[in-house]
Amino acid sequence: MSEVKYIGGYPEHMRQSIEIVNRSRARRKDAVPAAMSAEQREETLQVHPDYAPGGKRELKIGPNKGDPVPVPVADLLESYPLIDETEIDLSVADHEVDVMIIGGGLAGTAAALLAQDQGVEREKILLINKLRHGDCNSIMAEGGTQAADRPIDPPDRHFLDTIGGGHYANKPEVVRALVEDAPLVMHWLEELGVVFDKRDNGDYVENWGGGTSARRMHSCRDYTGLEEFRVLRDEFRARRIPSIEHSPAIELTTDESGRVTGAVLYNLETGAYQVVSAKATVLATGGFGRLHIRGFPTTNHYGATADGLVLAYRAGAKLRDADTVQYHPTGAAYPVQIVGFLLTEKLRSAGAQPINKDGEAFVFPLEPRDVEASAIIRECYVRENGITTPSGLRGVWLDTPLIDAIHGEGYIDRAFPAMKRMYARFDIDITVDPVLIFPTLHYQNGGVETDPDGATNIEGLWVAGEVSGGIHGKNRLMGNSTLGTMVFGRRAGAAAAAYVKSADAGERTFRHVEQFVELLKGAGVDSSRRAPMLLPEYRGKASLARMIDVW
Amino acid sequence: MSESKTMMEKISESTRSLTTGVDTRDVEHWVTIYIMGRGYSVPADLTIMTAMEFAGYKLIRSCGCRQGFCGACATIFRREGQYKLESALACQTRVEDGMCLVQIPFSPAEAAYYDIAAESYDYSVFSKHYPEVARCVSCNTCTKACPQDLEVMDYIQSAIKGDFESLAEQSFDCIQCGLCALRCPAEIVQYNVGHLGRRMFGRYGSPEPEHLKTRLAEMERGEFSSVLDALVGASTEKLKELYAARVRESDE
Amino acid sequence: MTSEQTSTTRAAPDTGSPKRTRLPYYPGCTLKTTGKGLEDSALAVAETLGVELVELPRWNCCGVVTSLTDDDLMRHIAPIRNMVRVQEVSDAGLVDDKRVVTLCSMCFNALKWSNARIVGDAEDLKSLNDFMYLEEDYRGDAEVVHFLEILKELDPEAIAEQVKTPLGELNVAPYYGCTLLRPKSIGIDDPEDPTIQQELLEIMGATVIDNPYKTVCCGSYQTVQDKYAVAELTHGILSHARAAGAEAVTTFCPLCAFNLDNRQREVLEKHPDFEPMPVFYFTQLMAVAFGLNPKCCRFDLNHTDPRPLLRGKGLMKEGA
Repeated sequence: MSEVKYIGGYPEHMRQSIEIVNRSRARRKDAVPAAMSAEQREETLQVHPDYAPGGKRELKIGPNKGDPVPVPVADLLESYPLIDETEIDLSVADHEVDVMIIGGGLAGTAAALLAQDQGVEREKILLINKLRHGDCNSIMAEGGTQAADRPIDPPDRHFLDTIGGGHYANKPEVVRALVEDAPLVMHWLEELGVVFDKRDNGDYVENWGGGTSARRMHSCRDYTGLEEFRVLRDEFRARRIPSIEHSPAIELTTDESGRVTGAVLYNLETGAYQVVSAKATVLATGGFGRLHIRGFPTTNHYGATADGLVLAYRAGAKLRDADTVQYHPTGAAYPVQIVGFLLTEKLRSAGAQPINKDGEAFVFPLEPRDVEASAIIRECYVRENGITTPSGLRGVWLDTPLIDAIHGEGYIDRAFPAMKRMYARFDIDITVDPVLIFPTLHYQNGGVETDPDGATNIEGLWVAGEVSGGIHGKNRLMGNSTLGTMVFGRRAGAAAAAYVKSADAGERTFRHVEQFVELLKGAGVDSSRRAPMLLPEYRGKASLARMIDVW
Repeated sequence: MSESKTMMEKISESTRSLTTGVDTRDVEHWVTIYIMGRGYSVPADLTIMTAMEFAGYKLIRSCGCRQGFCGACATIFRREGQYKLESALACQTRVEDGMCLVQIPFSPAEAAYYDIAAESYDYSVFSKHYPEVARCVSCNTCTKACPQDLEVMDYIQSAIKGDFESLAEQSFDCIQCGLCALRCPAEIVQYNVGHLGRRMFGRYGSPEPEHLKTRLAEMERGEFSSVLDALVGASTEKLKELYAARVRESDE
Repeated sequence: MTSEQTSTTRAAPDTGSPKRTRLPYYPGCTLKTTGKGLEDSALAVAETLGVELVELPRWNCCGVVTSLTDDDLMRHIAPIRNMVRVQEVSDAGLVDDKRVVTLCSMCFNALKWSNARIVGDAEDLKSLNDFMYLEEDYRGDAEVVHFLEILKELDPEAIAEQVKTPLGELNVAPYYGCTLLRPKSIGIDDPEDPTIQQELLEIMGATVIDNPYKTVCCGSYQTVQDKYAVAELTHGILSHARAAGAEAVTTFCPLCAFNLDNRQREVLEKHPDFEPMPVFYFTQLMAVAFGLNPKCCRFDLNHTDPRPLLRGKGLMKEGA
């Protein structure tokens, strides 16, 4: 590009710090910093984006009135609908189904499969996708899936790890369902043909996760979510269950009792709407990473814009723990093309250490994610021990070559092909040089409150996956997300299937929307604020400034 | 705490162009790319995907995870002065001056309908569902097209040989973008063949570990019910106590 | 010939020396699936004779049928890419020989014919090398041989030494088909009157039934289009063998084996009086004669079960 000289993908000033890191490696190999005490954790968390002041505001209306949530989330929850209800004819349903699932990630796909297993005819199931079936965070999960399945690791250990990591805010009966179903989910995936990492003797390779007290992480190289998801999707397609792509749900419909009875879809390409009548609805729309809360880059897929939260909240669903956001400690901070991309926690499980500009380890590598992320932010912005990139971002090193130093040459090639490949595209060899990291917006810890079967306080509405709240409390552990999507996707799909056996198709109205609009007006919300967002805006400012609409 | 507020502002400022779209004022170096034949001047440090957005495209097709996992953003491009058509993932590839490109919005490739529990674990599963694998002339065009640099032809050959383990190993990192199938002169749907083979290997060739079966049987017998009942009913104080008392599994 | 430590181009029986000759080995798809009986028995026989067959770490389809048109170079990519693989293992010192050993006679034919055709035309060789730009250029100095040729190179005494169960009264008609013999330029024996199987069968003590149908076409891929047409050929070949006194036939070709063996089902439909006849892969009989574990023969994959015949002749234990 310009005068900057690059060596092995890094500019000279970063290269100097790398040399220090490379020199201190042998010394650090067996000298890992100790884990923090409860008090130290508490202190470190003060710099966490959730705790640093200014990021939240209280909701003015709706079931969670008075609760604080991140400002961009509050703005979306308190928004007017995208549609003008007078333009929509709800009397004619384009699709009349028993179970509608909104969102085709792991949770939604699992729900569809279980709904069919539990007796719903395949033609009476419909999976709705905003983009492709497969545009989801699930497919990007790298590190693993937790399941307590070894003699040393009873499910109560998994329970305690999860609830402690979530700062005891988790809903206990939901956590119980998570840990009890985990081995069952593994069995299900085995039957469907997921290829997990295994030892020569046939046992699983099980690794550490941040905040776990036992090795419980099951992986498929660093493509765990990809492998799990593509198998479920293949099974879904092989069974010919109907689905619609590139047509997000932009509003739910309810009957006079408030029960959810269907949805309005919007074809992103033609602009036409469709009406779905459904006896039961499973909302599996994922999270809100693309809101870039507090200005953070994100690991999330393109469509992670909180649409499900918005729709459910309007329909009267109660949220919990929606105030906390998970920032993954290790997002890529360099090169600029991949800023925010996930670098799996499995790297630290395998021995990689966060290292400051002086080549020193400053934190135990496997603290719970919020603590680990806070320690990295503190190192960069409080202790000023970070490295600044050419585009102005700060970060610290993640010492990836240490992994091969511990496990032997070739380990990274086998265990982290996705990451190695990604960096190689930018001329960086992660087996030789460390990579620059900074926390990245990763996960919506809370969401729509559910019971252990994914049922909400609204009749006819189940939720599963990241859109739900209660499983993870205020902080999710690695490997509990893919697990949670499948445990509760399966449970919600089965519960919805049981429900539709005795339920009729309900009347479709926008009554709840009308009532919500009244609340918005009463609260003086600006009528230009509309939601769901559907997709974030990344178009260049210059081109946006010249855009006109002539159709 | 006013200092941490400043800190959040600093972070937010450093990522502005990534989270809200690129502002021309921040750009130092420019290149020209041709999107479906039309030239656009774009910042040199963008990916194909973000460059298209800079140019004004609101992406609906050919985009998804934006991080190289979902396979939605398959792109065919040619470098200026070259005859070769190359393939890439738009989200993983930096723009180059003179690049002429198009994204593939959809791959209408065939995928088999089958019941994995009813298939036989041998080579015949491929001749049954994808008989066209026999047409492979070993031209290796699929391998050349693969943005993941997989040895695609080799895994198709493994399918022909009925070698499920090699197939799973060779095809594992496939993101199913479809570029192999789109370029194959023998009209093989490599990525779906690979997926069928991996699932067969996962179910039949890599059996469920004994320790999982043992745990499932224990759960079936309700062996952990009472301890979990107690945890669900425990006070936060009690949970904190138990959490602090956990003994971490030893490293070896 | 006797073993010579200096020889790198001739297979030698095991003399107890660790320096056994390592030959590159190309299996082909069928030998990994329906033709497993040929591969497993041949590998066991080779090991017994001190011939180490090193399977190419990477290989693809042989090309199956050699294209005879001038302008269809695409069809030669598959066989020539395999020759690149032979060159790779040879360059890497993983084998002691540039002659790749084949077992399936279809693979033998496709690889050898294509290799001769392309190596003989510098322009075509360059075109293929240019197309396969991800590979090392093929220099054209690798060769293709059939396992029978390797067996023929061995000292007959050394083979005879391994015979633990002479085939005695077993009356066997060798069958050749086409692909080992034709075209003459690449064939391993006289296309009109081949004897290479006969010589080896005699070493193993079998009673060899020669008959003129040994080179008659088995019907080849017509078996896909019209199995009854092929069944008529099978009926002719096996009936003549039977009439000449044979109780079984031998072959080296999985396709011939399929047509002669599996098509007996259709033969019986049309000719209810037909007496089914076992069809052996040549090396299955060698393994029997050598007294090797019968598991390596994979008789379970044969259509007409040869085990009753073998037991009847005392060549196989009851229950084995």
